[in-house]
Amino acid sequence: MLAITNLSFSFQHRRLFDRLSLTANSGELIHISGPNGVGKSTFMAVVAGLLAPASGDIEYRIGHQAVPDRRAYLEYLPAEANGLYTKMDATQNLLFWAHLRGVPLSREAAFAALDPWNLNHPLLRDGFPVEKFSTGMKRRLALARLDLSPVPGWLLDEPLYGLDADAMRVFRQRLETHLLKGGFALLISHDLAPLNGLITRTINLSKGNKHDG
Amino acid sequence: MANAWRQYRALVNQGVRAELADLERLVSPVLFAITLLLLFAFAMGDVDDSLRIRVYLAETMLTALFALQVSFARLFEPDRQDRVFDLLRAYPVSHTALFLAKYSLILILGTATMIPTLVFGAFLNQTANQHLFSWSVVGISLLALAGLGALGVLLSAMTLKANARQILYPLLYFPLTAPVLLGAVQSSRLCLDGGRAAADIKAWLGLLLGFDCIYVTLGILLFTELVDES
Repeated sequence: MLAITNLSFSFQHRRLFDRLSLTANSGELIHISGPNGVGKSTFMAVVAGLLAPASGDIEYRIGHQAVPDRRAYLEYLPAEANGLYTKMDATQNLLFWAHLRGVPLSREAAFAALDPWNLNHPLLRDGFPVEKFSTGMKRRLALARLDLSPVPGWLLDEPLYGLDADAMRVFRQRLETHLLKGGFALLISHDLAPLNGLITRTINLSKGNKHDG
Repeated sequence: MANAWRQYRALVNQGVRAELADLERLVSPVLFAITLLLLFAFAMGDVDDSLRIRVYLAETMLTALFALQVSFARLFEPDRQDRVFDLLRAYPVSHTALFLAKYSLILILGTATMIPTLVFGAFLNQTANQHLFSWSVVGISLLALAGLGALGVLLSAMTLKANARQILYPLLYFPLTAPVLLGAVQSSRLCLDGGRAAADIKAWLGLLLGFDCIYVTLGILLFTELVDES
């Protein structure tokens, strides 16, 4: 369970969110909403551990015990970037991130992970640098990386960016499986139609202080 | 510990692959060094034999220093693309493993630059009577690289998000390299002179080793802070 308690963050004297509290439990998809510039991506970056909050706690708990490093339980997908080594091919990217996480991944398993995303073609997966991918293909590869990761928490910042209708369907299916397996996700998206029926709660950052159970 | 070792291996492998995938990055410091050595050779013209060792060492070590700066300043370039570095920070990666992986990568890149520079510098400066290439000088240069490399990782991390990175990096790097450069040039000169002043060689090597230790220790200690601040 991810527990966020009294989280506040300011940027150049501007308070973006103040004493925000929420918990994300197994099976939940929480939509973080609000207008442009309200601090949704900043909130996600704070939860991912990229920015230090002004105050408050973010803990990943197993039972009642907080784990020492929540990053071991969270996977982050930033907006408008995919965290891919652009000179490397798709398979090398997947293998690197999996090995860094401690997931023993063979090349064949990496190919299998690329398959649902329509990237498992010898001309795409091997020796073809990711920098030559289209925007949607890069996003699909980033989602394949996320899908391979065994962690329970997904932090998704505009995950549908650049995806075509087929890829959106695949994403919905993988997200649903992740939630059914006991995972949870925090989601920022301005296009919710493809995820209709999956969202369990919405937190609106434009409404001042938020508290939920 | 096992985690950190696994992460170190993954990061080094990835770093080497990223360099090999972009050979231009790997080769350009060597080409830069060769060009600079040629320019030095033209600028110096005929050199008196009594000064040859000094000129060779001054030219070669300075050239290596400039070429290494070119190489080191771009250490985090593959990680800056597509917010890879942010993702690395969002992973449970040991900062010591990250520092040591970058340090190992810099030593590999530095060696690939340093050895051709020394060989080509010796080739340009030697005469029929005076052979300048020496394995002792190679060893001393690699010892210098150990200190410069740690400094390189530290400054690359420090200037990772600086807008004026290209200006800031050399401004920080060159003054801090002075003791290492001095130790490397003086101990190499004494070695090439015939190694008669063993006590002096030891003193200069001591300075070199001392600064290696200082920079590596500072690197390990400060890297975490720099990564967190990025």
